[in-house]
Amino acid sequence: MLQRRGEPLTDVGDWASQFIRGDSVNSEIYTSPAIFEREMQKIFYGTWQYVAHESEIPKAGDFVTRRIGRQPIVVVRGDDGAYRLLMNRCRHRGALICELDHGNQSHFRCFYHGWTFENTGKLVHIPKDDAYPADFDRDAFGLTPVPRVDSYRGFIFASVNPDVASLREHLGLAASKLDYMIDASPTGELILDGGTHKTSFRGNWKFVGMDGYHPPVVHQTAFEIFRRNAALENPEVDAKAAQAPRKTMNDSPLAVSRDLGHGHAMLDVVPHRISEQEHHLEATRYMPGGQEYVAAMFAAYGPQRGAELIAVGGDPHLGLFPNVQMINQHVRIVVPVAADRTDVYLYAARLGGVSDEFNEIRLRKHEEFYGPAGFGQPDDTEIFERNAEGLQAIVNPWIDISRGRNREYVDDDGSIVGKISDEVTQRGQTREWARLMSTP
Amino acid sequence: MTGTHTVDVWRAVEQFLFREARLMDANDYKDWLDLWAPECTYWLPCNDDNADPHEKIALIYDNHRQLEDRVWRLSGLHAHAQRPKSRLSRVVSNIEIELDDGTEVMVHSAFVLCEVRKDQTHWWAGRNLHILLRGDDGFSIKLKKVMLANNDTIMPNLTFII
Repeated sequence: MLQRRGEPLTDVGDWASQFIRGDSVNSEIYTSPAIFEREMQKIFYGTWQYVAHESEIPKAGDFVTRRIGRQPIVVVRGDDGAYRLLMNRCRHRGALICELDHGNQSHFRCFYHGWTFENTGKLVHIPKDDAYPADFDRDAFGLTPVPRVDSYRGFIFASVNPDVASLREHLGLAASKLDYMIDASPTGELILDGGTHKTSFRGNWKFVGMDGYHPPVVHQTAFEIFRRNAALENPEVDAKAAQAPRKTMNDSPLAVSRDLGHGHAMLDVVPHRISEQEHHLEATRYMPGGQEYVAAMFAAYGPQRGAELIAVGGDPHLGLFPNVQMINQHVRIVVPVAADRTDVYLYAARLGGVSDEFNEIRLRKHEEFYGPAGFGQPDDTEIFERNAEGLQAIVNPWIDISRGRNREYVDDDGSIVGKISDEVTQRGQTREWARLMSTP
Repeated sequence: MTGTHTVDVWRAVEQFLFREARLMDANDYKDWLDLWAPECTYWLPCNDDNADPHEKIALIYDNHRQLEDRVWRLSGLHAHAQRPKSRLSRVVSNIEIELDDGTEVMVHSAFVLCEVRKDQTHWWAGRNLHILLRGDDGFSIKLKKVMLANNDTIMPNLTFII
């Protein structure tokens, strides 16, 4: 490990430098409608966004509707088997051609004047088309494709900026971190069909960061409940754990916050969990369908990698700038609505090649913490709203994100690393925010 | 089966649901928990009233132990989303007994609920399905399924008892 320090937030670009001074950030970036509008143009229409997962549209005709920033799109698998991202806008006068959240259709008909498109985007019907000349070029009036589309192992990303760099370049070090989530399945299949928690809060989208400092404070009640229940559910595992007390994340040198570059950030507890893999293996074997799962993982990946993947539990705890996080059993899309309003969608993932009972346990674990009525996420929502209220006090508008900069270092792969509770992640996200916001 | 039960049964069921509503409105978690049978399910489907909980996440899918956890959490000072607590007022109506086999009573109802917390007012509405068990001390809840009208759209925190 190199011990070179990470840099303070200098050279953030001319525009951003008015809001960022070293480790201080002006809270106006969380409250200003004008800055939010600039974010729409420079970030949400400038870089890559995660939009959907291929498992959501397995069959010809399957579609989901999503947004890139404010722009509505349809992610649809055509009858030719290929998936496409099409602007959800009729080529005639611009009404939505699809009003549903998801479904399966061979055609999309705009119910304003009846223009009808195949699920490949091709225009196939114009009512009363005698009003157009015989050589009217219908093929030029297909649904408009999203300019840039690419994917990583089923995760579909898109950009409305035709000049954006490649997705591989954008994901960089973060790409391989996604593998932890996908390879929790012995068949390498992530299936995002477990249902969607649709939540909202009155606050800025950037509050949904990747923060390893808050859990013991915000989620004190949830952790207490989980601790008690672990003891109830498998007393033998718990008794063993009591004999060899496990390090908490805060104390472990193996649980770190990581800035992966391009604003991607990770609460990297992978080495910590692998160091306790015997405990995780035993706990997994106690779960319904657990023995079978461990055997399938060992067969698929070999005992060493299999045990590591089980220990990691499919949780990369990864945030890809600007709009998606992969956490525990779900993929989370952050939708910016206004400077003071954010919608958050949590898509629960099931694992391919795994028994129904094992997948069901994962769903139950998800809803116990997440969603509008879980034991964890509502407290995050509450704190985000308190944050939005507090930031209205602008006599001194500066917030501090210096935590742990005195002890962060640059890892061999070039990522910047600090302790789990350090603000390495916030600095990484802010650096990318500043870079994009300062583009001409 | 509707209409074949006696007025006495109908009255008893109605009074039980009204009592439950009053305890929920008062955030009286402990007495509300006492209404439940030891083996029970408190279920709020997500996305679709008929979503199979074995294959899909719910908003809430609690057994009795999780109900106890929920009540424990809400009773302390660190369930931030309920500090301050929601003030609640609800109407339960359209009570309809679908089945009464002498042991269990299956009851449909509808509710409209006003939640006021800090500077926000939220209106919630939906349908309930209760399966009530008859016991020596009256009814206890074996199943409560709450089908929110807004369970497939973005929603704010739902951290009070509904």
